[in-house]
Amino acid sequence: MTEIKLSKYLSLFKEVSIAPLIIFRIIFGVLMFLGTIRFISKGWIEQLYIDPDYYFGYLGFEWIKPLEGQLMYLPFLLLLISPLFILLGFLYRASSITFFICFTYIELLDKSNYLNHYYFVSLIALIMIFLPAHRNFSIDTKIWPKIKTVSTKQWTISLIKLQLAIVYIFAGIAKLNSDWLIHAKPLKIWIQAHHNIPFIGPLMQQEWLAYLFSWTGCCYDLFIVFFLLSNRSRPIAYLFVIVFHLLTWYLFPIGVFPWVMIFSTLIFFSPKFHERILNLLSRSNWKKNVIENIKLSHTRKKIIISLLTLYIAIQIIIPFRHVLYPGNLFWNEEGFRFSWRVMIMHKVGLATFYMVDPKTGRESEINNSKFLTRTQEGQMATQPDMILQYAQILKNYHHGKTFHYGNQKFLIENPEIRAKIYVSVNGRPSQLFVDKKHDLTKLEYNLSHRTWLEPFNK
Amino acid sequence: MRVKRTIRVYLSLAILLLLNFSCKKDCDEVQPAFSKAVLLENVADNIILPALNDFESTLSSLESSFFTLQTDPNQESLNAVRANWKASYMQWQMVKIFDFGPIRTNGFKGAVGTYPTDTVRVNSNIINGGYNLSTADNADAIGFSALDFLLYRNDALIDFISNEEYFQYTLDVIQKMKNEFALVKSQWSTYNSTFIAGTGTESTSSFSLLVNEFNRDYELAKNGKLGIPIGAGTLGIQLPEYIEARNSGISLELLQESMRALRIVYMGNNSGSGLGFYDYLVDLEKSSLASTIDANFNQIINTVETFNGSLESEMGSNVSGLNELYNLVQSQVVNIKTDMTSSFGVLITYQDNDGD
Repeated sequence: MTEIKLSKYLSLFKEVSIAPLIIFRIIFGVLMFLGTIRFISKGWIEQLYIDPDYYFGYLGFEWIKPLEGQLMYLPFLLLLISPLFILLGFLYRASSITFFICFTYIELLDKSNYLNHYYFVSLIALIMIFLPAHRNFSIDTKIWPKIKTVSTKQWTISLIKLQLAIVYIFAGIAKLNSDWLIHAKPLKIWIQAHHNIPFIGPLMQQEWLAYLFSWTGCCYDLFIVFFLLSNRSRPIAYLFVIVFHLLTWYLFPIGVFPWVMIFSTLIFFSPKFHERILNLLSRSNWKKNVIENIKLSHTRKKIIISLLTLYIAIQIIIPFRHVLYPGNLFWNEEGFRFSWRVMIMHKVGLATFYMVDPKTGRESEINNSKFLTRTQEGQMATQPDMILQYAQILKNYHHGKTFHYGNQKFLIENPEIRAKIYVSVNGRPSQLFVDKKHDLTKLEYNLSHRTWLEPFNK
Repeated sequence: MRVKRTIRVYLSLAILLLLNFSCKKDCDEVQPAFSKAVLLENVADNIILPALNDFESTLSSLESSFFTLQTDPNQESLNAVRANWKASYMQWQMVKIFDFGPIRTNGFKGAVGTYPTDTVRVNSNIINGGYNLSTADNADAIGFSALDFLLYRNDALIDFISNEEYFQYTLDVIQKMKNEFALVKSQWSTYNSTFIAGTGTESTSSFSLLVNEFNRDYELAKNGKLGIPIGAGTLGIQLPEYIEARNSGISLELLQESMRALRIVYMGNNSGSGLGFYDYLVDLEKSSLASTIDANFNQIINTVETFNGSLESEMGSNVSGLNELYNLVQSQVVNIKTDMTSSFGVLITYQDNDGD
């Protein structure tokens, strides 16, 4: 019964005020609604999910395809409605499941669009499905008054805090590398580009500022959670949260992420704080209510503990999986995604692909823009798994086709696809990344270490 | 109390770092820091505006010489039209780099610089009349490339004298270019201040546009002017019908001029005294990359000089020379598109980005 003891120690099943969860639900609903509006108004549905001819699916999820043409608006319509339902606490379970499925479906379509904060939203949406965040201050409690409660088990709130802690701490650990700490890269590259902003522009060209940002950013990520946990330091810590994220919002094109973090972090505040907000919103007095104590059965507790342990273990193992691979993480990108490596790398590549007709030995240089969007091309040029996927796209396109050039005909069968790719990491001069000697169609796309990449010279 | 202490710790840390790093560089020698604002102003005032003015005047000369051909239809007049067309086409190599602002919104680059021309379409327009040169169907039947066909056909002079529709069509093509450019230029005078102010890092800022269009123009020149005709994309099978300005045979001169224009933008001006990408790279302590790019431009320009014939004749006699030239042009792409652009911290896409 050790896990039960541990759960007692962590007070996982202690009854606490449900107010923080309610506020979190409302914030999540509002932000996701606004996020979808922003996404739609920028024309990104067309650009990212209708216009491209090809998509880069995730390993094992390549069967997930976009809907035909304008039908692609449908999941986004649901992403517009479901956050409103979540916010109002209306058909909460169904709405949160809908939101999670639609959001995750869209993210799985094309890894060219992978962002850590989209992954974060997917995880939070998944967690939300299992939380009783609709059991007060909601339309659901008007329809089904029985579900109304003023308390929740402690784990429901702790889990969100833990998820935020994972994001922050791993983002901090990711910064513990020589480029970040010793060379202040890539911040040095990114910050200097702002040297014409009013007043503080010239500061942006100062080397010490890049170092200051790098080091404080790293410390912030590593330790902010601990200061948020303590009642005494929380107010000043939250001030840091606001300043930090506003600064990143001002300097970098990271979309809604700063707002998501600023508002999500409110979960660390005391129940009283959240109750006060709810009182303001409803003009009622939350304090009158008493905390009930609902006993959970032993098995139920055990199930919850097992699931929590599993989830947390996965969350901790995934960002560390890169240690299983030899070589430089920034160069090989083996175990790079889903690890909270936010804004830590400036990687740019130039990929020139060649289709070689094995019968004649003749080769054609490929015009990448004929096949890929600019975003896709840019991402593909630096990410080995996408390079292999693109080679397959090119092979399938050419295989079995007859090409008429001048007065000659070429029937292409099983073409070789080769590439000469140069990549620059964090402002270093570009180096050969993939040599033309490999027929990329012969290389398998899997999780094993890739030996066909050229070595990285520091 | 705690708040105060935190702030104090923070401030002293900041001051410590400030003392540590601020004196590593520039302490003995204070020089004005590089500024994108100054670069954009230089490019606008000393490169773009003069280029637009020159282009406008070459188009006027082209039109007036064409009217002279009408009143004085002889070979000499036709030669004068051809010379003006060529001068204008050469000037276009600079203007076409700036495919943003009014040039982009008016679709001027496509309307003037699309090649090869659809000669069947041109002929049918002339025979059938009633054409509207602004439709998408006619995108391949207008601009410099259409004029290359119309002015350099063997029977061109005879047709100008005896075929009124042929004359009218040529005039329509010239005047369309001239009139549309007049609009572009007038809009540019208001856009100019927007351009100079766009020093930000977002992909829509003018600095980003300039860098991106610089790269795009380079790659277009590489592919369109050289790669496609010599068969780089077609299993080595040459496509002479894709040669730019095939009838006049000036394609290599255009390639060379295009590279010269790109180099001028890169250097900040012809002699290198104005601020350009070169100076930005030097400021970022990338002097060796900065010089490599300049040296490569010069090498490309000089190599093109060594070809005596037109691109079409060289494609018959000097395939290996052209392949070498193509590899040389190709090798520059990584310098400007990857190394230079990434040093500037410029974004190429419109999407959100969290740096991975």
